[in-house]
Amino acid sequence: MDLNLAPEDVAFAEEVRTFIDANLPDATRRAMTLTTAFLNEPELGYEWHKLLHKKGWSVPSWPDEWGGPGWTPVQKYIFDLESARAGAPVYNGQGSRMVGPVLMHFGTDEQKNKYLPSICSGEDHWCQGYSEPGSGSDLASLKTKAVADGDDYIINGQKIWTSFAHKSNCMFALVRTSTEGKRQEGITFILLDMDLPGITIRPIIGNGGDHEFNEVFFDDVRVPQSGRVGEENKGWDVAKYLLEFERGGALVAGRVRAQFAKVVRLIRDRGLIDDAHIRIRMAEIGADLDTMEMVDIRVLSDLQSGANPGAISSMLKMRWSSIRQEVSELALDAAGEDILKWEPERPLYDALQLPPDEEELLGIAPRYLNFRAYTILGGTNEIQAEILGKRVLGL
Amino acid sequence: MDLQRDTEHTLLADSAERMLSENYDFSARHGSPADQGDDAAWADDMWRQFAELGWLALPFAEEDGGLGAGMVEISILTEAFGRNMVVEPYITTVVLCGGLVAAIGTPEQRAETLPAIGEGALRIAFMGGAAGDISVDAAPSGDGYVLSGARKSVIDAPMAGRLLVPARIGEGIGVFMIDCDATGVTLRPHRTLDGGRAADVELTGVNVGRAQMLGGLEDASDAIEAAIDRTIAALSADAVGAMAKLVEETVEYTKTREQFGKPISKFQVLAHRLVDMKVSEEEARAVTTLAVLSADAPASKRRRAVSSAKSKVGRCARFVGQNAIQTHGAIGTTADLTIGSYAKRLMVYEASYGSTARHAELYAAIIADPDTAGAGLLLSPAA
Repeated sequence: MDLNLAPEDVAFAEEVRTFIDANLPDATRRAMTLTTAFLNEPELGYEWHKLLHKKGWSVPSWPDEWGGPGWTPVQKYIFDLESARAGAPVYNGQGSRMVGPVLMHFGTDEQKNKYLPSICSGEDHWCQGYSEPGSGSDLASLKTKAVADGDDYIINGQKIWTSFAHKSNCMFALVRTSTEGKRQEGITFILLDMDLPGITIRPIIGNGGDHEFNEVFFDDVRVPQSGRVGEENKGWDVAKYLLEFERGGALVAGRVRAQFAKVVRLIRDRGLIDDAHIRIRMAEIGADLDTMEMVDIRVLSDLQSGANPGAISSMLKMRWSSIRQEVSELALDAAGEDILKWEPERPLYDALQLPPDEEELLGIAPRYLNFRAYTILGGTNEIQAEILGKRVLGL
Repeated sequence: MDLQRDTEHTLLADSAERMLSENYDFSARHGSPADQGDDAAWADDMWRQFAELGWLALPFAEEDGGLGAGMVEISILTEAFGRNMVVEPYITTVVLCGGLVAAIGTPEQRAETLPAIGEGALRIAFMGGAAGDISVDAAPSGDGYVLSGARKSVIDAPMAGRLLVPARIGEGIGVFMIDCDATGVTLRPHRTLDGGRAADVELTGVNVGRAQMLGGLEDASDAIEAAIDRTIAALSADAVGAMAKLVEETVEYTKTREQFGKPISKFQVLAHRLVDMKVSEEEARAVTTLAVLSADAPASKRRRAVSSAKSKVGRCARFVGQNAIQTHGAIGTTADLTIGSYAKRLMVYEASYGSTARHAELYAAIIADPDTAGAGLLLSPAA
């Protein structure tokens, strides 16, 4: 057992770092520092994605047949870690990390050929139509209805909390195609274009000031059945498969590490390094971060050796989301009354023209507020506890 | 990078667990709280079995009569010790004192000490605590030194034939090996919180020769710290074993204990607490692995990993110990169940070789440098 990377992996990390250093524009780094939403704006990510695409690195987890770089699990981890640490933006995770793998597994050849290349190139931006006003944690209760009509479905209903629906041209959604039998057995997984007649998008402005979420209304929207993934009424199986790709270990670890280092710098700059409360929280959060990074590495080691990481990976979402919040909370505590000044414009990097340390202060409160969503989205921590209790402890 | 246990690791883990769960009778060793009788013969026999299994020679080099294993193997063994509440002087004798002799002892000191430890003929206690916590002075006298000082609760001292004594020599700290029955050495034995043995030790004018000074070094501070860090890594694995057992027993209890007509595991507030306990155990396991795999790394990385682990495992240990008791309800507060004994063992962990708070402070001092705080664990290899 050891923690040391193999020489070829050290060389790979160096290659990734060199590429990022040479190509990631300073303006993008600044924009990422001033990004207060939990996902950066797609425009910011798109430019970087195009560069990665040219390099053949735009879809790290994909097989080379679909434009992936053919990396090992360790290489993928290193790439994510280095990208996140350097402050490289992300782009369209819902395309490359969610619907892409789903299409490779369940899609028809026609669907693969239609969608995968434009996820790889970044031309399409996807959003996820899952939650509804009455169906949050209890997703299987969803009601948005799809009725077959010739070669189409007619969809009526409403989705909510749809990240960047207003900047996406494609959606994958769960819709109800049957009310017979078990609730899970009447759900269908469907792909649709966002410019179809009858789709209305209404923004939801977060408490942190960012427009990230939306409501999406479907009013007699005619969607071709050729966009159905898997069989009708079997969409729940597809959705469960997709969930396996929703965790982004290394991306999270790298980003939280980078943010933590920034907060430590802030604490020093503000002369709070010997403040007893701040110092103990800094030490606790730092040790929590080391701990979860070790859990990530263990999962990676399992993957690398072909072992099944098992249920341990279920705790990643729960703990990482909390640690992210704690880092943002530590920043809040360190900033003191400097959080009082509120800049309503978003994104901050377009709105502000201040010295770096002043403008960074303006991101602290919005980030703290927006980050409350981490323990809610993608299955609340309470739902994660339910899953862990059943699967790990047999409760 | 590889965190998988190989076949030999699995064999060691399985055989240790089997041997201890079958033969290490907790109640025979610890007695009831009222029965504080002498069980030295039982302990001697157990120690002989440890020697026969090769456990006592595990980390030493082959030329020292050892098996050449590393911290990974040690931690596999100590995790089993934690699961089975072993209170034999293994970590003090083999990991701490044996490790220190192996690291800095002269060839003569190594030859005289390490094979004897490996064979089970010699047990050694350490008359010190956290690094830098020194309570003995060594005054030069003729060809040697005179040791004076006292220390409370020297763990395992009543079972030991010798003491390893870190002592101030001017600005430095030397380490002396003395017999427990040497002139001027007084031991007042007592029980420890977790059912182990310790003694308040007083040294009054104990004469030692230079040959008793490890490696002939007038300052062995760095080696002492390294040995204590390895000790903390081994103890952390022990604490993980104890936590795992607490979680298992508590989960099992909630599935059988019924109130309001159903098993109490069906109450969500308890189910979620059990999950939090399990997550704490897994977190403790993960960060212990960091300490174990960093034990031989350069000092800066080793310190960071060990203090991160000691502070984090300490927090997890307290949470798991408290909630094991709470979840058991009234019976959890009694001496009738082993969960109370495991909780005590975790309290001993927290207090040993630098408390949770002390290591949190040591860790804070390290990561107060933003570059260090931002450095990942994988891409900055431990060695």
